[in-house]
Amino acid sequence: MLRSWIVPTEPFFADLERMRAEMERLFDLAAPIGNIRGAIRGTFPAVNVGETPENVLVYIFAPGIDPDKLELTLEKGVLTVSGERDTSKEVGENPDPQGYHRRERFSGKFRRVISLPESVDPGKVSAKYSNGILTVTIGKREEEKARKIEVAVE
Amino acid sequence: MPAEATREVSVKQSEAPVSEERERVRTIVPPVDVYENSEGIILLADMPGVPKENLDVQVDKDVLTIKGKIAKVVPDNLKPLYAEFGAAEYERAFTLGADVDISKIDARISKGVLRLFLPKLEEVRPKKIEIQVE
Repeated sequence: MLRSWIVPTEPFFADLERMRAEMERLFDLAAPIGNIRGAIRGTFPAVNVGETPENVLVYIFAPGIDPDKLELTLEKGVLTVSGERDTSKEVGENPDPQGYHRRERFSGKFRRVISLPESVDPGKVSAKYSNGILTVTIGKREEEKARKIEVAVE
Repeated sequence: MPAEATREVSVKQSEAPVSEERERVRTIVPPVDVYENSEGIILLADMPGVPKENLDVQVDKDVLTIKGKIAKVVPDNLKPLYAEFGAAEYERAFTLGADVDISKIDARISKGVLRLFLPKLEEVRPKKIEIQVE
């Protein structure tokens, strides 16, 4: 985990950091083994999954998207999120851009499929979009929730 | 269920490297789009999870630095199962030309996208020359 210590601050090093990320992405493409639904680094939107004793939480990092343009479906423990982001429209007409220097942000249609743990209850789903992160909360089935067993002392 | 048991073990192991201590220092370079027109430069940066109050935009001499801290969204008892995104902060810097009016930089963030407008100094803006017809 050395790379987290050498955080680039100088613009030159930041550019090197981007190059390193790009190299990593290329090597990911050639990786011999990976999760069938896993993604290479830099895929849009990035997804994190976690769980609490009651819920499974999915965090989708989708900045700059109108929440009602996001489509979310849950079927048989598979969550699908799809939508579109057109960064050229985001710039706006005023002031009208006459050209660009960098275009690194994702633009276009996307679709991510996330497999969830078997313990989820498809009937208990809620989603919320805040600061560019879509959080999907899926409840667990009653029988899958961890139960605390009281030990009786005689 | 043996399959469940194995998963438990692997989750426990992967928990160690993403301890809060380490996560606090993890910084990523946000992707940006930079546009330019005769009025100025427009910069858009993807910084999901950053609310307005956690945003820091600074100009020191000719270096523009954008920083943002991700607001805490996860509950304390969350066990990570799978993660593609592991940063807690964003940071990126750019050198500016002398033509930017640093006193009039406009910064706003909405839906996790930072938008900066760096206006050009009045005297460097292109002037349209009227052609007289006799």
